[in-house]
Amino acid sequence: MPNDGSLPTASPPAAPELSATGIVKRYGALLANDHIDLSVARGEIHAVMGENGAGKSTLMSILYGLQQPDEGRVLLRGEEVHFRSALDAIGKGMGMVHQAFKLFHSLSVWENIVYGAEPRRGVFIDRAAARRAVADLAARHRLAVDPDAIVSKLSVGVRQRVEILKALYRDARILILDEPTAVLTPQERDSLFAVMRHLAAEGRTILFVTHKLHEVMAITDRVTVLRDGRVVERMTTAETNPREIVRAMTGRSVSLTVEKGLSHPGATLLEAIDLTIAAPGGKPLVDKIALKVRGGEIVGLAGVAGNGQSELVEALVGLRRLDGGKVLVGGIDVTDSDVAARRAAGIAYIPEDRASVGSALAASAADNLAMGFHRTPPLARGGLIDAAAVARRARALIAKFGVKIASESAPVGSLSGGNLQKVVVARELSHAAPALIAEQPTRGVDVGAIEFIHGQLVAERAAGRAVLLVSSELSEILALSDRILVMYEGRVLADVPQDKANEETLGLLMAGRAPEAA
Amino acid sequence: MSAAPQPDARALSRWRPPSAAIAILFAALVGGALVLASGVNPAEAYAQIFMGAFALDNWPNTLNWATPLVGMTLVAAIPLRGGMINLGGDGQLIIGALVAAIVAIYLPGPGPLVAIAALIAAAVAAGLYAALAAWGETRHGVPMLISSLLLSYPAVGVASYIVRFPLRDTTTGLPQTALVPEGARLMALNGVLNVGLILIAAIAALVLFVDRRTVVGYELHMRGINLRFAGYGGVRLDRQAMRIMFVSGAIAGLVGAIIVLGSQFRFIDDVLLTPSYTWSGLMAALLANGEPAGAILAGLFFAALQTGGFAMQRETSVPRVLTMVLQSIVILFLAVRHGAGKSRE
Repeated sequence: MPNDGSLPTASPPAAPELSATGIVKRYGALLANDHIDLSVARGEIHAVMGENGAGKSTLMSILYGLQQPDEGRVLLRGEEVHFRSALDAIGKGMGMVHQAFKLFHSLSVWENIVYGAEPRRGVFIDRAAARRAVADLAARHRLAVDPDAIVSKLSVGVRQRVEILKALYRDARILILDEPTAVLTPQERDSLFAVMRHLAAEGRTILFVTHKLHEVMAITDRVTVLRDGRVVERMTTAETNPREIVRAMTGRSVSLTVEKGLSHPGATLLEAIDLTIAAPGGKPLVDKIALKVRGGEIVGLAGVAGNGQSELVEALVGLRRLDGGKVLVGGIDVTDSDVAARRAAGIAYIPEDRASVGSALAASAADNLAMGFHRTPPLARGGLIDAAAVARRARALIAKFGVKIASESAPVGSLSGGNLQKVVVARELSHAAPALIAEQPTRGVDVGAIEFIHGQLVAERAAGRAVLLVSSELSEILALSDRILVMYEGRVLADVPQDKANEETLGLLMAGRAPEAA
Repeated sequence: MSAAPQPDARALSRWRPPSAAIAILFAALVGGALVLASGVNPAEAYAQIFMGAFALDNWPNTLNWATPLVGMTLVAAIPLRGGMINLGGDGQLIIGALVAAIVAIYLPGPGPLVAIAALIAAAVAAGLYAALAAWGETRHGVPMLISSLLLSYPAVGVASYIVRFPLRDTTTGLPQTALVPEGARLMALNGVLNVGLILIAAIAALVLFVDRRTVVGYELHMRGINLRFAGYGGVRLDRQAMRIMFVSGAIAGLVGAIIVLGSQFRFIDDVLLTPSYTWSGLMAALLANGEPAGAILAGLFFAALQTGGFAMQRETSVPRVLTMVLQSIVILFLAVRHGAGKSRE
């Protein structure tokens, strides 16, 4: 990290602040945690890594009292504890910042922070004392927030600070941060890291759950890697490297870079002209956006989540009505067409939310893979569906994309995130549509699946298709895109060629700072 | 399309008996306790229900009861398969019955053609009325759950007014229309049974076929599992909702027409709704979560239960309302199981 290097790391482990021994948790026949041992020293920043389904979330839920282990013991500073609920855990100095924040949006910052532990005067809340306590706490931990601000008006990065303050207000000695950087700009991430270092230096202990390797390398002292519910590796960060961590997570070596040739862009296949989506009584969610994606190129759409990307994509594919502007697919105006007609015109779409939009979890893989192909031959003729053809096609796609599933008639709800995403990707790519919109295509999928999906996107580009990649993961945008558009508050702030883009410039743009005249 | 999932090792190890069977078992136990409390041997009461439904002589009665009940089961099950709920079965049934009566009484022409015209008119009128609820939801955001139910009351009220005043058969003192001419009545088959039974059986078979083999059935099933997925995949959701509700209402209209043309031969106020076919049908559909084959079976089961209830009431001192209690308890236990299952996830 460029802005901080003064803190000594990897001090010799003292008596463990937190230790868990032999933790076992079963869900039916599934062994989510299989005799996990974890030991974290006071003042340590400790990464817990693993692919989806490795058991990280289960372990954290147990440590935070949300779940009870079937076997094993949890010790805090050498004393055994039995948390029956998160309240028990909070009482013993545990704090957790969840991926999805748990805040009251219509209340102020201080109200959120003191909620449940309000300073009182008689039966009333002592508002002045509460405000003062919050302001002092924020100043002491260099977490800049306005105690009177209403949460719904705050950016995601600031909301996260409120969550951290909530835990600190209850004097959390051990903080669990679950994928805290997923929603942050690089600058916000750096300031979070500064806060984490400060907290660790104060003697607080941080459990950092993540799958981002460079962050682990940047901030942690030690790493525990889980795979299939077991601890497979314990490493000291200073003595390891990303490649070793990935090998521990996946059990094999995985390519961390994307190989792609030169781009040979052709005709414009996907175009938006002055696309506008109004917000009820506010500034537009999408404000006169113009974008062009040509065949044979990947255009990255970067931005912090919530700056209009989802709305823009929904408008492109026909799931949301426009308030102005046009959408063209392959040069044909599809502005007034519905989803089916736009798909027919040549759009394939990997949606951000594979479970609630991209698939029907209770339906079989065959049914899921048939969607969009179910009205026309070879799957259907004269309104009748050919079940044998549906099954045949599903088997072929499952084999081609390496989906791990018992059979094509098994429901997809039982699949891991990566495998479910492969089902969605398989279906959308098999359209061979001229334009592909891939929205957060690798969110929450494991390293192996990321490698695979990235390879598929590059193959689409090589096949002359137009790919619009929407991602809040900058490393993904940088690795794959030929051009990068940065969205901020409904507008495209810049159109940067890949060779001129780096994390820092994009990060500034993502935070809304216009490009300086160069 | 919707083949049962292959039993893999994990599913087998967590095998639980089908929830419907358990709910029925629980209901039988609770019902048995109630019978016992009233001083009757539960085994005796259940035996009477069984005999009353399935003794050879009683088959026509059971089937006659099953005709409208299974019809109304389909009315509820078809939208439910797509995650929609049609609570307006009563109104749609009444509209169908009234329209059938009016057409059959006042349309001149050869009897069988008049009957066919009456059936079609009943189906179209009730179908359009049901589609109105879907239109309210897709265009104006009125939840169909509410609008379908609320639209039912004016239909029932207006029909009641019509047979009490403008169209009342003044030769009788009752709120009812004149008799349907004999030529326009549905052909009798055997005792109480008429062609309506065959019509409903044919519709049930058609619904099963559409559900399992066709694009329409696939799209409806996918909508039921995940509405957003269906929309994302290009299913035209608004149009689909209107069409499905039209079909659902049309079947309700046919049921009304079959009762008027096949067994009562006139529209008699209040009589159509007394047996609560709509609500039994809704329960049967819920029991199977909208899956047509299961819903039809459940509808037949409830019809047998209710027919058997008459025999039980005759032979023991237990009132036949017990069968409605059993039916409700089945649904209640089912709901408990579903709820409990969810909170455990």
